[in-house]
Amino acid sequence: MARATDHPEDRVSHVDHTGSPIQIELTDGMQSEEGSTGLPEAGDAIDTATFEQILEMDEDEDEREFSKSIVFDFFQQAEATFDKMDAALETRDLEQLSQLGHFLKGSSATLGLTKVKDSCEKIQHFGANKDETGTRDEPDDDVCLKRLRKTIEQAKQEFHDVEKVLRRFYHDE
Amino acid sequence: MHRKTWVKRPGASATLVQIREDDLVDDVRDMILRKYANSLGRTFDAPDLTLRIVPRDSSRDKERLLGPEEEICRTLDHYFAGGQQVDEALLIDIPQRRTPKPSPRAGPGPQYLYHFDEPSRPVENGTDYFGTAAMAHSPAALATIPHDSRASHTTQNPAPHDRSIAVLNTGTIPPLPSPGGRTRTHYVARPRSTRTHTSSPTTIVNPGFSTRPPRQRRDSTASDSRPGNPATTIPAPPPLPTPPASEAPPTNRQASTPPTPNRVSSPAPKATGARKRRPKPSPLEAAAAPSPLQSMGLLDNSVPPINVLIVEDNIINLKLLEAFMKRLKVRWATAMNGRAAVDKWRGGGFHLVLMDIQLPIMSGLEATKEIRRLERVNGIGVFSLNGPASSGTPGVDGHGHAGGGGAADGAADGESGGHVVGEEDRLEAAKLFKSPVIIVALTASSLQSDRHEALAAGCNDFLTKPVNFVWLERKVKEWGCMQALIDFDGWRKWKHYSEDQATPKAGDKAQKNAATKPAVDGSTNPSNPASAGAGAGAKKKKPETERETGRGRKEEGVAGTRGAGCDGSAEAGERDGSEVRENGEAEAETKTEDHAQR
Repeated sequence: MARATDHPEDRVSHVDHTGSPIQIELTDGMQSEEGSTGLPEAGDAIDTATFEQILEMDEDEDEREFSKSIVFDFFQQAEATFDKMDAALETRDLEQLSQLGHFLKGSSATLGLTKVKDSCEKIQHFGANKDETGTRDEPDDDVCLKRLRKTIEQAKQEFHDVEKVLRRFYHDE
Repeated sequence: MHRKTWVKRPGASATLVQIREDDLVDDVRDMILRKYANSLGRTFDAPDLTLRIVPRDSSRDKERLLGPEEEICRTLDHYFAGGQQVDEALLIDIPQRRTPKPSPRAGPGPQYLYHFDEPSRPVENGTDYFGTAAMAHSPAALATIPHDSRASHTTQNPAPHDRSIAVLNTGTIPPLPSPGGRTRTHYVARPRSTRTHTSSPTTIVNPGFSTRPPRQRRDSTASDSRPGNPATTIPAPPPLPTPPASEAPPTNRQASTPPTPNRVSSPAPKATGARKRRPKPSPLEAAAAPSPLQSMGLLDNSVPPINVLIVEDNIINLKLLEAFMKRLKVRWATAMNGRAAVDKWRGGGFHLVLMDIQLPIMSGLEATKEIRRLERVNGIGVFSLNGPASSGTPGVDGHGHAGGGGAADGAADGESGGHVVGEEDRLEAAKLFKSPVIIVALTASSLQSDRHEALAAGCNDFLTKPVNFVWLERKVKEWGCMQALIDFDGWRKWKHYSEDQATPKAGDKAQKNAATKPAVDGSTNPSNPASAGAGAGAKKKKPETERETGRGRKEEGVAGTRGAGCDGSAEAGERDGSEVRENGEAEAETKTEDHAQR
């Protein structure tokens, strides 16, 4: 449903064009161009179904104004949250870390950024003096902080990876 | 000057379509629909299609969509010097389904036909379950005359599966999963497919194209080349002479469409007859003649006219949910912590709360418990369809609250009998609370224990992030329809009561309700970020909101009501529109507690 514009050349399809014939044949005929081909290749970092339903909210599939604003807001939010996490690490504020983990978990889950979400969940658990699944208690703050430090680094890395993919997808590199 | 170009559906084999030297891509789409008369032509219009070109030399050009205004031959020559090969066929893409539209409605019939349809197309299942029509008729009717109406509908109405019509005629919802009986026989005897197939594409879609010869030919092809289709076994009934939109103003697109396809194609002239003798309209209908259709039509996408409170502390999630509500065309307000949520809820008029669990200041569970507690002490009736509580409420409220007689109210409603409601717990606008609000817990946690905790706190349902929009839409419909039913009943009774009192309150309220969503949003939403201490703030905000809305209404008048398009009771607003405007702004200010009461 591409909108008519004056510059058809600007409207580059988001379809991955490296392996088109095979990839297209894989998609169900009744799914349109968006199908599974519209998404950046991010492996298991992005849950396609979740992200696609956000893409479907876009009024214009070329501008992608809505999803773009959501995604870029998330970038900002994530950066800010990571900063807060670093500060909370400094002050050994486990509770705060748990809350921050939960907070970022919510939005990363909404966007389908699976890896970031999983790490945030761990941060939430560690901050609550639990093990990484949140089922057993871990009373030792130092152990928790050590795990937190590691997991936060991991979350940042995962975030930056997926950020790159998404920025490419939105032609903002 | 004719050429041929290869096109194909993704993954399918290519085919040649004829083009002229000067054809635009837009023309090619027409030709493609002729070629794909069955698989595409019946469901899509030419402008729905997009063509994608995969260049031979991917290093030089990128794969892209063709604009409708491009000259196809020039484009082809540019990309495929020396002629297009079969494996360079243009790819035909069909519109993507939009999230909220094709909700997975259960039900028989040729669903696939409707899957990709835009709202201009009737939503066949809009009449299933509670459906749109349900809103226009009270559950009381259902409770009192179900058997009569059902009998009459089987005898009177030759097409019992035209549920929407049946509802219009009888004022009740026909029993859907009818266990046996003649209904079923009718249903089987006349497969729905015949009617949908022939009616929709031929009579509705076509007029716009009828001047173009190719399309006409396509139509005939479409109907001829349907061997093996059950449709051919039964002669396609000629469309009724009545234009589909005859009964409703053309602006009410939705109003006319839902029942239309069945009606148009129905071979039985009785269908129209039945339509005309819509038996004894309820007092409400009698008052506002086009109301049933109108109110139905206002429910875009068959989502009930409900008011949703979104409680989320994460702005990303909030934005998304808001966008989704916008898409569903339901009203919503937001709160960013539990305390603000309770305060917003106390303002009344909400049907559904999407409640995040972990929130700052007051958690979602605490907020839920608080809401349930307030509902209890204020005697907000239990969730019941015969609703003596809800029907009693309006009258009680009419004389109860001004004197601060909270206890009297409680006793009258039977729920908290004798219990004195503390001043701080008393809901000021108790008449806005027809039934306990539906609270759906939202959380990113998948722990079973969290789920149990949420349900124990008084949530009705539970939803794991990431929210599946299809699921959410269905929930909004289900819960919303339920609430709207109850609310409508209460509203109608209250309406009668206020008519007795010769006050234009009801109209005012309904009008206000429907008036200009932007105005409401504009004033409620900015207040959200002020999460901390939004408690009192939110409450003070309310009158402002209403006043603004009132102004909006004055400016926009009745047109605004129609435009808002999401309010089931807007018919009354329209009816009373003149009174309302005369009452002016002062009215809007004083009647703040009336807002959103349905």
